[in-house]
Amino acid sequence: MHESMSDSLSVTAGHRQPPAVNARRRREALTAYVFLAPWFLGLFVITVGPILASLYLSFTDYSLLEEGSWVGTDNYVKMFTQDDRFLTSLKVTTIYVVVSVPLQLAFALLLALALDRGLRGLPFYRSIYYLPSLLGGSVAIAILWRKLFGVDGLFNAVLSIFGIEGPGWVSDPDTALGTLILLHVWTFGAPMVIFLAGLRQIPQSYYEAASVDGASRLRQFRSITLPLLTPIIFFNLVLEVIKSFQSFTQSFIVSGGNGGPVDSTLFYTLYLYLKGFKSYEMGYAAAMAWVLLLIIAGLTGVNFLASKYWVFYGDTK
Amino acid sequence: MSLGSRKKMWTVAVLTAAVMTTASACGGGSGGDSGGSGDKVKIVFSYWGSDARQKLTEAALKKFEEKNPTIDVEGDFSNWDSYYEKLATKLAANDAPDVMSIEIRGLSEYAGRGALADLAGKVPSADLDQQVLTSGQVDGKQFAIPTGVNAFSMLANPSVLEKAKQKLPDDKTWTWDEWINLAKQVSTTGGGAMGAEYNPNPAWLQVFAAQRGEKFYDGTKIGLSVDTIKAWWNISQQLIATKAAPEPAKSAELLTAGPEQSLLATNAGAMGMWWSNQLNILSKASGQELELLRMPRQKGATSGGMFLQPAMYYTASAKTEHSAEAAKLIDFLVNDPDAAAILLSDRGLPTNSKVLAAVKDKLPPVDQRTLTFIDEIKGELSPITAPPKGALQMEDILKRNTDEVLFGKTTPDAGAQKFLSEANAAIAG
Amino acid sequence: MATRSNAVPFLFRPRKGGRLLKHLMLAGFGLLMLYPLLWMISSSLKPQELIFREPGLLPSTVTLENYSNGWHALKHSFGYYLWNSAVITGLSVLANLIACSLAAYAFARLNFPLKKLWFAVMLGSIMLPHHVTVVPQYILFSNLDWINTIWPLVVPKFLATDAFFIFLMVQFIRTLPRELDEAASIDGAGYWRVFLQVILPLCVPALATTGIFTFIWTWNDFFSQNLYLTNSDNLTVAVALRQFLDSSGESAWGPMFAMSIVSLGPIFGFFLAGQKYLIRGVATTGLK
Repeated sequence: MHESMSDSLSVTAGHRQPPAVNARRRREALTAYVFLAPWFLGLFVITVGPILASLYLSFTDYSLLEEGSWVGTDNYVKMFTQDDRFLTSLKVTTIYVVVSVPLQLAFALLLALALDRGLRGLPFYRSIYYLPSLLGGSVAIAILWRKLFGVDGLFNAVLSIFGIEGPGWVSDPDTALGTLILLHVWTFGAPMVIFLAGLRQIPQSYYEAASVDGASRLRQFRSITLPLLTPIIFFNLVLEVIKSFQSFTQSFIVSGGNGGPVDSTLFYTLYLYLKGFKSYEMGYAAAMAWVLLLIIAGLTGVNFLASKYWVFYGDTK
Repeated sequence: MSLGSRKKMWTVAVLTAAVMTTASACGGGSGGDSGGSGDKVKIVFSYWGSDARQKLTEAALKKFEEKNPTIDVEGDFSNWDSYYEKLATKLAANDAPDVMSIEIRGLSEYAGRGALADLAGKVPSADLDQQVLTSGQVDGKQFAIPTGVNAFSMLANPSVLEKAKQKLPDDKTWTWDEWINLAKQVSTTGGGAMGAEYNPNPAWLQVFAAQRGEKFYDGTKIGLSVDTIKAWWNISQQLIATKAAPEPAKSAELLTAGPEQSLLATNAGAMGMWWSNQLNILSKASGQELELLRMPRQKGATSGGMFLQPAMYYTASAKTEHSAEAAKLIDFLVNDPDAAAILLSDRGLPTNSKVLAAVKDKLPPVDQRTLTFIDEIKGELSPITAPPKGALQMEDILKRNTDEVLFGKTTPDAGAQKFLSEANAAIAG
Repeated sequence: MATRSNAVPFLFRPRKGGRLLKHLMLAGFGLLMLYPLLWMISSSLKPQELIFREPGLLPSTVTLENYSNGWHALKHSFGYYLWNSAVITGLSVLANLIACSLAAYAFARLNFPLKKLWFAVMLGSIMLPHHVTVVPQYILFSNLDWINTIWPLVVPKFLATDAFFIFLMVQFIRTLPRELDEAASIDGAGYWRVFLQVILPLCVPALATTGIFTFIWTWNDFFSQNLYLTNSDNLTVAVALRQFLDSSGESAWGPMFAMSIVSLGPIFGFFLAGQKYLIRGVATTGLK
């Protein structure tokens, strides 16, 4: 309470007395650090140590079983000059991200709009549409996916009605990645939920005012919903890009852990995992991780820069 | 500004100190598991497998604790897919289990990197099959004791053969060509059933190469010739071309799906190659009495090329503080009929002749037949040694290159070269 | 309540007749979403040997033996593992709600030196694949003697290491008009009161999202639970489920499907309960 009193004081005294402003600023900063205290603790005790350790290891030939020795930038050089599978994994992952992220987000947004309000039974539909995401990474789904898109699977059975004879989608090197992209799009529940929550953050009064002004619904969507939802769209975009670059589980369980057939689903992190835990080249895996970090950080940076042009925050006027 | 950041540093320092104290306090309260309670010695035993194996193992460990009241064994169970990643992590943290299960492909990796203890003289091994025991040696040291053995063999489903009006072949003389022809016949007359399904397992290539006088691993190099690899792929290509086996995509599906969904196990195929200890599951799934056969031969080959491979090994950590207790547990698991009476053939058929004699009658009928089969072929077997480091990756490397050839993404010539360079790189590294 | 009819001024507000069409579309499409669940349920009701021999959705023989076998298949009854998972998941939800919302408020609303740097560090911490940090982290927890306890799974969450949720809540808080806090502080509220009485109540959807995701992701998290809880008395549902499967040998498919369905219960239940709050946004709290 003492705080809040001086708080309002400083607001009124703000412009004329710089010392009070400084005091206020200091207190605000101090408060911020108190709010951030658990996070700082976690950062310095749990997060930073292992991250720095991995950076160090990336310059060694650490094998997990033995101590590594310093090899300089060998791992990084080898990655780009001698390792075809590394380049394959980069290519596979890029295709996966570029195709599945926009599709998944568009799908999630569309469904969030459809499931937001205005119809009986929406909670029921929302639950059903979220189901795939509950199941997404489970072994049972991997089995189902292989069955659905197998040579004699349901998908081919449906195609055969139209006289098309489909391949063995999951195990054909040309189509396997497609089935994983589909699996990713299909588990659109997480961004959908975030969109739903975001839609509810938009003050209802805006729509009421617009209705009174006689704005059409499409107009309302374009001039109210979309702009006010941009921070959430932005969040989903940034996070989905990060998460998709790190995709692991789906390829791991559907391909049986090897990124097959013929490396067509060899995701970056899967290859990294195989290097670290199957070939016992943890130093190399750590180097791969840092390259990925740079790639993701670069893309996120671009995302943030671009966001200045299209993201609208309620807190900036 | 400067005030703020100084304050920040101060905050961080205090918080770091705080968490360290609370953390160690918590740790002290909940931990202390390394020493064991009272005068009991606690050792950890890690293994992988199914829930059925877990039950058997827990029972065996209980028996061991009864016999050795001063030792407390904690089973550290994990499923196969995550076993090595977990084991490696523990070793990296100096937290290795005292007794570890390892299979032959991982043996050189772990022994060569100094993780395993030499068990010679610590675990009595006089009654074990000496040839099989040798496979647990790396650089002349007995790092591992085999649990039991398997043979990679041809399995046939007589009822499917019968339906296709074909006879069970004479496996003492049959050749790869005869096998392919038989499979072709079944596919034509079998009423929907396939003749064969291929399994690009390195074990098959090893058998095939041995028939041509080549070794899969020759020291720390791959001993296969390009011609052998091509000839080996040619068998699968013929199977596919003649529809004796399903197309590559379907075959790949079947492989990932595992033994229970194989053509053989679903009575949709007549023949397939499997490890002999998989006879049990396959028979159960198919409901038929399946036949174990010798692998077909290269025409004119002097050796059948088949070999007995330990299903897995027991090893002890090089860093264990309780090596005597660890050795005692391994001794119990391989040499004590009481352990075998519980575990039976779960980890392969026991190679300890005395133990085997004691539990023989308790083995289920399927195991009895495997035993007879292994006895029959015993005189024809090639010796086996532990493959070099990197062998854990071999299955993936071979499968990838095989897929590439069979899906027509590359030529057999180029594929064989690529396989050799990748395989050599894997075991050199 | 009185403004209910006005509360639907949205793009997808159906016109007459459009309502039925929308129901049809949602239901039809919903079937696609439901198919896997139906398939799992159907598989769990089939006798083990029929699961792969019989591709259809309708089982020819219905049996509950997978459920009774699965429940008792492992060392403890399955309820034991459900409880283990529930404890870890419950604590994780609580931890993330508290720790992440605190940090998010600071990032979204307060000014402090090096804010941009710390924000970048926070985002950066989710960009490194965890496979390379897991070993050093394991060593850390192993030295603290925390292996085979729930601490490695729960303590990091109390320290807001799930930066995903911090970022999520930052974005949500930033959609809120700043006049709200300003009005409150003119009324004499300090930072804590603004946080507790203005921001948090308006962030219920974000908190619900955090709670739901934490619950689901923790419940399904096989990787770290498998690593840190190795004693067979400490296993959780995610780990126990994988024990039914052995890719090289015999798998208990039926019990695996049955127990998968059982373990779906709590997360689905939590989602159903949580989604009420998910949609309790600014709109329904009667702001302005």
